[in-house]
Amino acid sequence: MKPLTPDELRHLEEKAYQIRRLSLEMITYSQWGHIGGAFSMAELLSYLYFREMKLDPANPKLDTRDRLILSKAHGSPALYAVLALRGFYPEEKIYEYCEIDGLEGHTHVATPGVEASGGPLGMGLSVAVGMALGLRKKEAPRSRVYCILGDGECQEGNVWEAAMSAAHYHLDNLIAIVDYNKAMAKGFVWELMRIEPIADKWRAFGWNVLEIDGHDFPEIAQALHTARWVKANGAPTVIIAHTVKGKGIERAEFNYKWHTHAPDPATADSMLREVARTYGYAEQGYSFRNTPVQKDIFYGGE
Amino acid sequence: MAENNPNSAEELRDAFGKALLEVGTENPKLVFLDADLHTSTKATWFKQTYPDRFIQVGIAEQNLFGIAAGLASEGFIPVPSTFAAFAARRGLDQIAISICFANLNVKIPGSYCGVPTSRAGASHNCIEDLAVMRALPNMKVADPGSNADLRATLRAAVATPGPVYFRVTRYAVPELFDEETHEFEWGRGVLLREGGDVTLFGTGIMTQFCLEAADLLAAEGIMAEVVHLASIKPIDRDLIVESVGKTGCAVTAENASIHGGFGDAVSEVVAEECPAPLRRIGVRDKFVESGGIDELFALHGMTPTDIAEAARAVVAAKARREVVTV
Repeated sequence: MKPLTPDELRHLEEKAYQIRRLSLEMITYSQWGHIGGAFSMAELLSYLYFREMKLDPANPKLDTRDRLILSKAHGSPALYAVLALRGFYPEEKIYEYCEIDGLEGHTHVATPGVEASGGPLGMGLSVAVGMALGLRKKEAPRSRVYCILGDGECQEGNVWEAAMSAAHYHLDNLIAIVDYNKAMAKGFVWELMRIEPIADKWRAFGWNVLEIDGHDFPEIAQALHTARWVKANGAPTVIIAHTVKGKGIERAEFNYKWHTHAPDPATADSMLREVARTYGYAEQGYSFRNTPVQKDIFYGGE
Repeated sequence: MAENNPNSAEELRDAFGKALLEVGTENPKLVFLDADLHTSTKATWFKQTYPDRFIQVGIAEQNLFGIAAGLASEGFIPVPSTFAAFAARRGLDQIAISICFANLNVKIPGSYCGVPTSRAGASHNCIEDLAVMRALPNMKVADPGSNADLRATLRAAVATPGPVYFRVTRYAVPELFDEETHEFEWGRGVLLREGGDVTLFGTGIMTQFCLEAADLLAAEGIMAEVVHLASIKPIDRDLIVESVGKTGCAVTAENASIHGGFGDAVSEVVAEECPAPLRRIGVRDKFVESGGIDELFALHGMTPTDIAEAARAVVAAKARREVVTV
């Protein structure tokens, strides 16, 4: 495969930055959401939606599209952000996050571009297996199904039922990505329930396994290319993407205390400026810096 | 009861196997998903005829319902099949969120439901499925009462968009309907026998027991009306109100727990629209442990005699109430 040109890389980086920015905007505005697990996927989603997946935002149900299921459905802000950036709906829609008839807290099929309803962890890969089987039956082999799982999510038994069946049915049109950001809601993965050796587990279940730095675009590009063209050997492929929870905001990085918390407007403002500085963009603070928090429930961070 | 269930008679699950083949032949999008039970659920004929549309997922019910959701979103009509217990208990989260919240076109047959199963015991005799499935938004729920009714239910389930749960009981009952002309309609009950003293509302195989109870009551001069409500959600509110409006008291009978299922569905309508004395026949907050089928029906107070007894009680309560009102 051709390496990414500097322009292509800049474009993808800018989209990853925008995914983080919009995620934090919507989480702060709604006063609910998961910063850490949204930020750890920013580069993965940027690459998938702006370079890898075959999509038509004007026709979100196009039969020949690639499908993506966010099994770690609490990472919804990042998915909603990338769908807005990709043109599935206007960017302003992100301020309907967690509002009635808006963007559901956890992913829901009512939103254009969202392929499955979720929330309870461990379910998404089964739905992805069903889609991959269905595509096979429809003889639409050029469409792929992607499924992003959390690392803590791999503690769910349902994940391994699905993994077993994907290999049994030789679903090489299915690519799973584990967002291995090392932290769960209440602690680190290795403290709460060890998942290592995670690569060996997937291998033992009959999958091709690739392991990458999930924030490094050339590595993401190489892995997805390998999954699509090189390893299409009758087995599904999993990409174990080593990531940093809360990547881009120092106080949230590897910090499970920012798994769920929504910042107050002033904190969000400083966080957004920090993210901009980190990735080399002109500082842009929180859009509603001077708007008092109206919500009944306020989740303070840290 | 016993005489209505000779070993030679065809059970509802056999009717399901035949109807599945028939409806599957008419609908090329129908795919059957099995979790290692297809000889028990009688999907074998479908499997033999359409091996490409038969998907084995192994003993993994969470995956069973997740895969069904994925297939439904690709335009198929999946029929993920397992025992009622493993749908209502093990696969519930997947049914609720992956299927019902997404409002996907999945048809779930729950077999081995209620009292008459094998001698497998409490782990397999599922009595909570009606309550559990009824509580799920977007889900339609049915418990057909005869072989023709089951065939019509499957046909209606496949013809109706969205998630459906219906029961496939391992039991033989006399045919209630004309096999050629009978149609199942969501939210529509059937008046099987007219009477003015009490209404017996039955669902599933219990409708047959209600008819037998009505015979017992008729011998004493109590004229019971028998209404079959295979469609539990939506339920035929108009027919319930009309019948109880006429008879002034009611008994419900279900092959399930009385908590949250059919009896409660009817009670809700009666309480809201036409308050009247009402008793529920069904399993009363107990697990259905191993035993012979007739013994278990007797143990749990679900025989036609028990239904007749409950009917006498509500007729008496109605009489007391009428005296008090006067």
